[in-house]
Amino acid sequence: MKPLLLARQLSYGVASRPRLSNFDLQLQRGDRLGLLGVNGAGKSTLMQVLAGILAPSDGEVRILGQRLDQAGPTLRRHIGYLPQRVPIYPELTVRENMDWAGRLRGLKGQPLRTAAEGALQQVELGAFSRRLAGRLSAGMEQRLGLAQAIMHQPDILILDEPTAGLDPLQTEQVRDLLRNLSADTSVILATHLLDDVQQLCNRVILLDEGRKTAEHEVTPDIDLLQYFRQQAHSQAVGTTA
Amino acid sequence: MIGATALLELRRLRAGMMFWILLAFGQLIIAWLGFSQLEVFAEIAPQLKAAGSALGVIDLVIMPTFNSLVLVLLLSVPLLAMGSLAGETHSGRMALWLSSPVSGGQMVLGKILGLWLSSLPLVVSATLTLAAFGLGVDLDWPRFALATGCMLLFSLWLASLTLFISGLFDRPAAALAASYGVLVFMWLLDSFSSPGAPWHWFALLPHIEPSLQGLLRSQDLIFFTATTAAAALLGTYSLARRRGEV
Repeated sequence: MKPLLLARQLSYGVASRPRLSNFDLQLQRGDRLGLLGVNGAGKSTLMQVLAGILAPSDGEVRILGQRLDQAGPTLRRHIGYLPQRVPIYPELTVRENMDWAGRLRGLKGQPLRTAAEGALQQVELGAFSRRLAGRLSAGMEQRLGLAQAIMHQPDILILDEPTAGLDPLQTEQVRDLLRNLSADTSVILATHLLDDVQQLCNRVILLDEGRKTAEHEVTPDIDLLQYFRQQAHSQAVGTTA
Repeated sequence: MIGATALLELRRLRAGMMFWILLAFGQLIIAWLGFSQLEVFAEIAPQLKAAGSALGVIDLVIMPTFNSLVLVLLLSVPLLAMGSLAGETHSGRMALWLSSPVSGGQMVLGKILGLWLSSLPLVVSATLTLAAFGLGVDLDWPRFALATGCMLLFSLWLASLTLFISGLFDRPAAALAASYGVLVFMWLLDSFSSPGAPWHWFALLPHIEPSLQGLLRSQDLIFFTATTAAAALLGTYSLARRRGEV
């Protein structure tokens, strides 16, 4: 079966100091992939390359077999992306921000209205649709970003630290939302929180200095912290040796 | 998508204070200049008539005020444009634009159109103020229409150029400084260079003044349309480069 997303030998940055190095990835429908790594490991760079925001200096990204940089902008309709900084216009209302995000994804007319209302209800912001986005709390802003990312029902959802800066209750709300996504939706989730990976993902990739250092299935009995430590230790030993 | 982007840009600008401050100050300056020049004209009109001069309101009031409108637009449009692309990058919203199915060309054209629409209230209100003088005195309407057309084309040119410059930076303040730098350079180029020099073609004033004197020249039309299109194409190219499409 053709993979939903295929990344081959992805590199980004200058050769002397690459931000991403020879990264391979294959994502099937319904996969939930967690990306773990310390600050500066290359998670956000990888996400931006996969979302088509940054052009890789080497390698390729294919979505449904088509190259992302050559197939034209319409291929990006399959992607929903939530960057680390939520992309909103603070001077516009929540609803106007949703309309903008929907139009960017090719929605208009009644489908746009339905999708915007549905997504806002999903993230429990329906009651705030007339509020200026600049007056939302951090948690609400994050949920608005999520609503923008999911409103066009993308096949691939790329989320860069979606629970960063949220209180425990808001974190749980976001996790619930991600759990309830359609089974066909594939998710790539970059996070610092092992709990996010444990609860939401079925695979995890460890990144260090732009390289994939390990890949593992996430099972209920896996101790991610222990696994993370082991990998960091073996990496350190390998570097010293 | 071009129309939707233009409307978003218009709505975004209209929601900010800058738009209203520029509109109010611009209108105030134009009205004040227009009426003070009219007052002076009223004083010297009998002497002009006695001397048999053909100069009228259109030469001594309307066109100098349109000339001032050029300056007001030169100062205002970069302020509106500075956030158009640099602001998107600075705020992180560019990520959503670039990951969306919208092409760079659609984004750039939409933003130019939105910026132009945002500068139109200033052009229209100034033009209506000056047209109101026609209620009391005879105006040369074809010449007035030519000057108005020139202002519309000039504001479109400004929108395109300043948007392109905005796309080169990731901070609005840097985009603003660069826009003013380029525009002041083009403004002063007329004084620095001789009319025969090849770079004199880029001097701004020689392309505006003829239409304010009632001359419609193809070389001015070519200058404005070619540089507007070039700025739009370069803006599109820089976005496509970021995405790795070229």
